Amino acid sequence: MIETATSTPVVIGVRGLNVFYGEKQALKNISAEIHEKKVTTLIGPSGCGKSTFLRTLNRMNDRIEGIRIEGDIQIAGEDPYAKGADLLALRRRVGMVFQKPNPFPMTIYENVAMGPKMHYGLRGKQLDEVVEEALREAALWDEVKDDFRKKNGLNLSGGQQQRLCIARMLAVRPEIILMDEPCSALDPISTAKVEELIGQLSGAHTLLVVTHNLQQAERISDYTAFFMFGELVEHGHSKAIFTDPVHRSTQDYVSGRFG
Amino acid sequence: MAIVGKFGLSEADLRKRDQARQQGSTLYRGWLLGATAIALGIIVLILGTILVRGIPALSWQFLSQPPTDGMTGGGIWPQIRGSLVLMGGTFAVVLPVGVLGGVYLAEYAGNGRWVRLVRGAVTSLAGTPAIIYGLFGFAVFVISMKLGISVLAGWLTLATFALPVIVLNTENAIKLVPESLTEAAYALGLSRCQTLYRVVLPHALPGIVTGVVLSSGRAAGEATPILLTAGIYYRSGAAPTGMEMLRKGTENLPYHLAEGYRQGGKIPEKTIWGTCLVLMLLVLVINFAAILIRARARQKQIA
Repeated sequence: MIETATSTPVVIGVRGLNVFYGEKQALKNISAEIHEKKVTTLIGPSGCGKSTFLRTLNRMNDRIEGIRIEGDIQIAGEDPYAKGADLLALRRRVGMVFQKPNPFPMTIYENVAMGPKMHYGLRGKQLDEVVEEALREAALWDEVKDDFRKKNGLNLSGGQQQRLCIARMLAVRPEIILMDEPCSALDPISTAKVEELIGQLSGAHTLLVVTHNLQQAERISDYTAFFMFGELVEHGHSKAIFTDPVHRSTQDYVSGRFG
Repeated sequence: MAIVGKFGLSEADLRKRDQARQQGSTLYRGWLLGATAIALGIIVLILGTILVRGIPALSWQFLSQPPTDGMTGGGIWPQIRGSLVLMGGTFAVVLPVGVLGGVYLAEYAGNGRWVRLVRGAVTSLAGTPAIIYGLFGFAVFVISMKLGISVLAGWLTLATFALPVIVLNTENAIKLVPESLTEAAYALGLSRCQTLYRVVLPHALPGIVTGVVLSSGRAAGEATPILLTAGIYYRSGAAPTGMEMLRKGTENLPYHLAEGYRQGGKIPEKTIWGTCLVLMLLVLVINFAAILIRARARQKQIA
């Protein structure tokens, strides 16, 4: 069934997860354990449910009409779907980066300051400090330090916008970072920068990254989960998944025979 | 695999078809041009007539003095002032109510059966003739609420008239905010209210404010809603000041025009065209202000 390594502590535990969009079942009986402070990539053909899985973790799917979620999810020992669960605390703990860069139409500073201002009520010097730190961590500081208080986030290039979104997310200080195809709208150089960032973040954060780029998955991840038709086919060390997968369909997919 | 030769198609057939298609384009363009010319022509005709006939009446006296000689001489300052007062008050009433109503419809109401019914009702109200609002205002504000013919009743009537358009416009402006922004805000852990006030509303604001300014301006140019609620044509004695002003009716430009015409010949034609021109300029200035507000807000967003 599902392979899991037990060398590192588990921060996200999923058991028997079923997700339905109306009549259609998007995720079928998913069970998985995500290791702390490691990078896990989610791969699989389009429509296989990997994005749905990601968005179930920080409850971004709540907004979809007619969605039904069954099963048990534990994130750092808490059930995000428990009655009375604190949605804002969940998202403070679990940050997200989207496929298309989506900075707010305001200055770079205001973009990054939004999270810490709303969550922690920071202002003035403390806020400045957090903003600068986040911009540095997102490797954007050197490019924007001269005009980040004045320049609108929308006036950055696509790659810079995505790093701005990463900085905005980091400024809230999440433990877990979800990335939904973070490079698919970026050029190769920007992609390389984001990949480098993922490597740097993995020491202190747990990262889940959805990607269609198999080389990228192999490059950046410690663990890989292969989804197909809403099922989690195989999940384990990336090395094993890419060189010696257990399942035939995983083998076919990672060798480029379909998808 | 050439298709010529198949299905009985010859090179000559294709040429003929090409020619016909090209001619079709030219013809179509001609129609478009003609229709545009007609529309533009009407606008030019209206503007031209009002300008040519109205400009001779304009003078500092005309703009700053009250009417004299039994309304046949003097200026139209009380009418201008009255229109500005009606417009300002309408704007003040309609801004919070219309905008908050639109926000509720867009963000909180959902899409249940009752909400769809309300939305349909608001849409129909937006298309309801102004005179209906005038009668409604008379019956409810003037008679039932005992406000009498007064500025207050006029504000409420004009606000009622402008509200549906503003609610719908606000709702649309909010729905035009990209879903990706809302998602970003939620994923960042902003609450619903914070998402609305920090991200969604600032983005929608230019569209919202433009709608509010335009519809209050439009409302203030309407004669029928104030016909029975706030308009007075002739005032004997001095105009009231302070709060007393709100309890009394007021002269205003559209009503002055309508009455002036009905007086048939007693008022010099020049005066009527002059009033016409002033009203038009007033509405133009407001529209221009709305365009400026929108342009500036847009610029700020992308600067």
